[in-house]
Amino acid sequence: MAQDTRMLPLKKRSKLHRKNTLIAYSFLAPNFLGFLIITMLPILFTVGLSFLTWNGGVLENMKWAGLDNFAAIFKNFSFQKSDLGITLKNTVFYTLATVPLTILFSLAFALLLNKAVKAASVFRFIFFFPYVASIVAVCTCWNYLLMKYGVVNSFLNSIGFTMTKSWTQSKTLAMWALIIVAVWRYAGYYMVLYIAGLQNIPGELYEAATVDGASAWQKFRKITLPMLTPTTFFVSIMTTIACFKVFDTVILMTDSGPGRATKMLVNYIFDLSFNQIKYGVASAVAMILFAVVLIVTVLQFRVEKKWVNYF
Amino acid sequence: MKKIVALVLSMMLLVALLPSVVAVAADKRVVKVASWDVYGSAANYHEAIKAGFEAANPDIEIEWVDLASQEYATLAGSMLSAGDQTDVFIIKEIKDLQNWTEQGFLVSLDDMVATDAYDLTGFAGMDEVCRVADGSLNALPFRSDFWVLYYNKDLFDKAGVAYPTGDMTWDEYADLARQMTSGEGIDKIYGTHYHTWLSAVVNWAVCGVDYTLADGNYDPLKYFYELNHALEDEGVCMEYGELKAAGLHYSAAFYQGNIAMLPMGSWLIGTLIKEKANGTFDFDFSFTSVPHMDGVAAKSSFGNMTAMALSKNATNAADAWTFLKWVCGEEGAKAIAAVGTRPAYVSDAVAAAFSSVAGFPSDEGALDALLPSSVSLEWPPGVLVPQLQTIVNEEHTGIMSRESTIDEGIAMMNERAAEVLGN
Repeated sequence: MAQDTRMLPLKKRSKLHRKNTLIAYSFLAPNFLGFLIITMLPILFTVGLSFLTWNGGVLENMKWAGLDNFAAIFKNFSFQKSDLGITLKNTVFYTLATVPLTILFSLAFALLLNKAVKAASVFRFIFFFPYVASIVAVCTCWNYLLMKYGVVNSFLNSIGFTMTKSWTQSKTLAMWALIIVAVWRYAGYYMVLYIAGLQNIPGELYEAATVDGASAWQKFRKITLPMLTPTTFFVSIMTTIACFKVFDTVILMTDSGPGRATKMLVNYIFDLSFNQIKYGVASAVAMILFAVVLIVTVLQFRVEKKWVNYF
Repeated sequence: MKKIVALVLSMMLLVALLPSVVAVAADKRVVKVASWDVYGSAANYHEAIKAGFEAANPDIEIEWVDLASQEYATLAGSMLSAGDQTDVFIIKEIKDLQNWTEQGFLVSLDDMVATDAYDLTGFAGMDEVCRVADGSLNALPFRSDFWVLYYNKDLFDKAGVAYPTGDMTWDEYADLARQMTSGEGIDKIYGTHYHTWLSAVVNWAVCGVDYTLADGNYDPLKYFYELNHALEDEGVCMEYGELKAAGLHYSAAFYQGNIAMLPMGSWLIGTLIKEKANGTFDFDFSFTSVPHMDGVAAKSSFGNMTAMALSKNATNAADAWTFLKWVCGEEGAKAIAAVGTRPAYVSDAVAAAFSSVAGFPSDEGALDALLPSSVSLEWPPGVLVPQLQTIVNEEHTGIMSRESTIDEGIAMMNERAAEVLGN
């Protein structure tokens, strides 16, 4: 086992030091090996594949394609007609709508349930539940709620709207159906993070503000929000990445339709690889997705300093 | 403890060696055949084939090479390219036949067919599909499913309307569907039912004509989209949008007993027989040939097939050819039909064997529907076909959900297909 080496003579010390290091590595090895084989290798394989043509089967079928795969997906690029343009546009729209709404709702729930509300833990469970519920069951329920004669449309009709279609069967509403489900699903999870963040804010700050005669709104604006910025930053990074990777709800609710109205980048990758068996082109799109997520995340870290306060 | 471990290990070794010892003992020539679900969901027809063939050819033994169903094409492709000595490969999808022919994995059967004067007429044109890659016959059609028109006999009896027949045009079918529609709310009876698939709504355009969905021109689909939209607007069939949102399965819809007619693939016959026996539904059903377009021969349908091919690495090619002739021909067809699987070979005797399954509809129309005048492929094989399928299916959802007009949707299909085909 590891020993404290500081009190030993130099030669013995370095030997023991090496032993200790090896022991440390041996503890890390299983985890690292798992990461290497299950995560890193497939990623490197995808990078390699994006420069090859491969229609599956034996590895001899692989041929060097250079940048042909990228040329194929950028051919006739347009946000109205080409697959890459449409899926990129859809994914970005979905992300831009889902991230702020998730932050808004999770923060609102956290503020409501952080106080000593009656049965707060019951409500926390209810709001957290969507995150752990089976996504297939969840999407089926939402499909029924959002159907032509479903509960949502009946309600909207009763307050003066005229809803004539299932949400998932309309080019404009299908996207919002996905956004609603995503916000509903994520909000409970990030609520828990916000509650943790709220409980870390020292009570003295509020006491001092109260003494100074600050209103509830002022306390929220000047204390709660700034003190929560690290949490908000974390939530925005995590939801952004999750949104760019959206796939399951699309398959289960809209199947990328109507037409291509809700076809996302990952659905495009899925179709290319498993319906069209064009692993090379699919990997090229995966590279584009990777690049987009990377750029967005780097940008988020860049502007972090301007608005995130670490106390 | 060590002794016990050693004992267990040596026992295991013994058990592992046993099958090879038994195989050596049997003095038979072996034909190895690659397939899937041999001992699982498809065990019934594999057993029927093995028993039937070995009874007819006592000196040849069939040995199945069971590959995982989902990975079949990949696994079989790697075996072929690696020089595996399995003699016969079942071809799950026609695109694999094309792929494997192009890679030189298969033996052309033309010479053997000529030498033995083997009759191909029983394949009702499906053998032409086996010439897909280079014009020579690289496989024999084995199984085939094509589309028929199911109907609920009880609903027709109750309405006092004559059952649908195998010689209706699509317009006559639509009128019959209108005639069968009645009631409101929970008493509603739908004249017909369109499942949400592209194939269920418009694939009829390929039946009995020289047109395929890979031609890049989708104008012929217009008639069928208009027919569907008209029937939907009149409340003759359920709305696509609702079916899609609810994810209602066509069989579940039919079991409810409020649908008079249902165009669907012949794979449903076995399911309906089984589910009726299980008590899932209690009305009488039957089926007939699908309607046809004006100017096209009645009883034209579309479908898919699986084929069987001879590997160029076969070690026992002569016996393998004997097996191919038997299993794809009338005898093999009767054997698998008798256990409820639709063979590709079409003849009166095969239809009789198929309809002898307990619970099979007893009327002549159903028997007649098993003898289509022609079966076109749902989609022809081709390198660009998967890409076209994606495009047509996407625009199909736009048209069916009424987010695009029929003309807009078809124009988009044509435009996007032209891009793929490089026209």
